Amino acid sequence: MSKVKSSDISHYELLYFIPNKFTEEEIKPMIEQVGKIITNKGGNITLTEEWGKKRLAYPIKNLGYAYYILVEFDSEGGKLKEIDRALRMMSEIFRHQIVVKKVKSAEEIKKAKEISKKIAVREAKEKEETLCQKEKPKKKEKVDMEGLDKKLDKILETDDLL
Amino acid sequence: MFMEKPVKKEKKCYFCVNNINEIDYKDAQTLRKFINSYMKILPKKRTGTCAWHQRKLATAIKRARVMALLPFIRR
Repeated sequence: MSKVKSSDISHYELLYFIPNKFTEEEIKPMIEQVGKIITNKGGNITLTEEWGKKRLAYPIKNLGYAYYILVEFDSEGGKLKEIDRALRMMSEIFRHQIVVKKVKSAEEIKKAKEISKKIAVREAKEKEETLCQKEKPKKKEKVDMEGLDKKLDKILETDDLL
Repeated sequence: MFMEKPVKKEKKCYFCVNNINEIDYKDAQTLRKFINSYMKILPKKRTGTCAWHQRKLATAIKRARVMALLPFIRR
């Protein structure tokens, strides 16, 4: 975060969780409050996603469940410290984490699409090859069976003669 | 003393194969593949991830641990 230029506007991702001791109705004003903190500091919220109640991987303050909320926003780098501090002041929020999120440019998206296409083609080829490999031995077996039948017949005939 | 030779298996970087450039720390399910039962980060020797992705993976797992998406230690 220290490398971020103070005047640059970039895209950030905030994840925080509120402990299970509050009900879902009590949480709604808290989410609004977090939104206000970001907008007051000149941020522009682009996405808010509620993950709902989730089990924590380890208990924090003897609580095992929490409501996770994900927020994406654009903000100036210099304002990030203030947002971080304001969130830390909120005693209801257990933990929060702000991470820089890369916004993909059009070229990068294009490239990714091309590569994914190539991957799809390669996978299809591999599937075909595996199918062919599976089919081939079956055919051989069939031929072998027919041959065996003939051989058996011959043997039987000879047996009869003897 | 006879030591059994380990079976060599061709390993490929999971993220290179699937064309993932940004490893998302919120995706705990995929990150779980890269930690052992003691919840330690597996070495790239074991998982086959390339060095570039291994570095990103390590930070992602550490971030997930802080947000209680992955455990630090086994219960």
